[in-house]
Amino acid sequence: MHVGRFVLIRATQIVVTFFIILTLLFILFRVAPGDPASMVVDPQMTPEDVEAIRTLFGLDKPLYHQYFCYLKNFFQGEFGSSFYYGKPVINIIGEKLPNTILLFTTSIILSALAGISWGKVIAWKRGSFLDSSVTMVGLVSHTLFLPWIALLMVWVFAYRMNWFPLTGMVTPELWLNPETGILRKALDVIHHMVLPLSVLFTIHFGGFMLIMRSSMLETLKEDYIVTARAKGLTEREIRERHAAKNAALPVVTSVGLSLAFSINGGAITETIFSWPGIGRELVFAVSNSDYPLAQIAFLLIAGLVLVANLVVDILYAYLDPRIKY
Amino acid sequence: MERERDKEWLDDLRRSPFKTGFGARWGRWILAVKGHWGIFKRNKLGLFGLILLLIFATMALVSYIPPSIDPMYEPMTGVDPNILGTQGPTKSHWLGTDFIGRDILSQLLVGARIAFLVGITAAFMAVAIGTSVGLISGYLGKRVDMILMRVADIIMVLPGLLVILILSAVIGRLSVWNLVIIIGLLRWASVARVIRSQTLSLRERPYVQAAIVSGASKGRIIFRHIGPNVLPLSFLYMTFGVTTAILVEAALAFLGFGDPGTVSWGMMLQWVWKTGNMFKAPYWLLPPGICISLITLSFYCIGRALDEVVNPRLRQR
Repeated sequence: MHVGRFVLIRATQIVVTFFIILTLLFILFRVAPGDPASMVVDPQMTPEDVEAIRTLFGLDKPLYHQYFCYLKNFFQGEFGSSFYYGKPVINIIGEKLPNTILLFTTSIILSALAGISWGKVIAWKRGSFLDSSVTMVGLVSHTLFLPWIALLMVWVFAYRMNWFPLTGMVTPELWLNPETGILRKALDVIHHMVLPLSVLFTIHFGGFMLIMRSSMLETLKEDYIVTARAKGLTEREIRERHAAKNAALPVVTSVGLSLAFSINGGAITETIFSWPGIGRELVFAVSNSDYPLAQIAFLLIAGLVLVANLVVDILYAYLDPRIKY
Repeated sequence: MERERDKEWLDDLRRSPFKTGFGARWGRWILAVKGHWGIFKRNKLGLFGLILLLIFATMALVSYIPPSIDPMYEPMTGVDPNILGTQGPTKSHWLGTDFIGRDILSQLLVGARIAFLVGITAAFMAVAIGTSVGLISGYLGKRVDMILMRVADIIMVLPGLLVILILSAVIGRLSVWNLVIIIGLLRWASVARVIRSQTLSLRERPYVQAAIVSGASKGRIIFRHIGPNVLPLSFLYMTFGVTTAILVEAALAFLGFGDPGTVSWGMMLQWVWKTGNMFKAPYWLLPPGICISLITLSFYCIGRALDEVVNPRLRQR
């Protein structure tokens, strides 16, 4: 009951937030120097031609009319055509979105799980050599510069060792061959995914582990841990069932808070590894001044972060029955 | 715990030679810094961070000394006429040269300057905005609080780097100062949240009630009475803010959207990547990455040590 209400409220907030982002983006592109028509107009055109283009684009209408038109088009999936590819934006983005979701969710889930399991162990052994060394690893992982570690990994594991492909998501020859089985294809994608995934894992693992460690240390001071000890439970039971379960909640919150940050890293990783995702598409679109594509890629990424936030909230509400809204 | 600390502090004050007025305020500050330094230096990571920071500060200062190659050498445009492409370390170029023969060491030193400049100013801006918003929001409450916190929520879900990318698509190339302003405007929200919750508890303290009774205006209570008490927390968030600001600038420069008039470490990495030298020239690939990672590590370690100073419950007893 409570959970349902909580989720409903969060979902509404997220929809409102998305609307605000949508509106801000509209304002941003309208206050920008030069209106959208100036991208297509060339200096040799007569004023009548320019006027015709402006009418075609709907730029002669009042601003509020343009805004509603923008909203209508957005919800009908009419995103316009990319300046660079000359194709409808929706076709370009549609095939890229699943690739981003695949890389993004796998990296977040793996690093959060690893962070939780390491954080709880080192907090349990506070002050030991294991604790200080793993904490140091976590600190370094948290502050490493992503592009650099990505380039290093490519250099060592792809170029020197030749274990993994340098870039891309699939081996074209393999996929063009009609005889290749689905399993072989999946393995091919996984093979390409190992390096980008390791980069994202390296970057995110440390933060989650440090949060789990401090949260676990807080939890271990609680009275119910003393009670559990007094009952004569084994150390393992206290750690796993009494402490770690409660201590993991702040990690879930921090996953939610770091989503926006993670997608930044995701975009850089996609660019370096030529992973065909929307982050890379956004970086390209911005370099090429491809406004329609950049706009939609940004909106989709923002939407993705919002939806992921909602999923984290639902997970939190499910994990923590105390939550009330 | 809190009371214990207050007591310690009062004892210190009693021992202080300054009892009233301006001298007393400075005396208190010095005592506080001394006491905090005692806690700080017990933290090995914090000291490690501080030493790293001093090294980078030295690098930034050394960048003002004219290089031995030629006193007029300029790391952005200076090209060694004898070297055409990238070359490993030699006697005249200790770290080698880049794809058009520019000295890597000089670029690295100037990069330290940019990192400090961007990191500290952007973090300062974010913290100044965040602290003011947090104080106002926490003290005034009601509708003001609701509006400010909703704005903070929205800013927190935005992917900062990609927002800056979109802005640079619309505005064009961003200069370093524009970037600093944008980072400041995008990073204040989390600071505001923390300061707000601190303000909510400080608001109920007797000294605030006393200030209200003696007729202090809202602005005075917020900035003169509550403000100084949240400053340690703001300072702590500034050290963390520096880390993110440096990383954002470097990432943006790496993607090719940096200020073309400057040399930053992120830009050096972009050059090594874009010119296809990353597999051939480790002497060029390694230094900028190590510098970015270590400078952020240093600020982060200092932040964690300061965290123990500000939050006594984190200390290991």
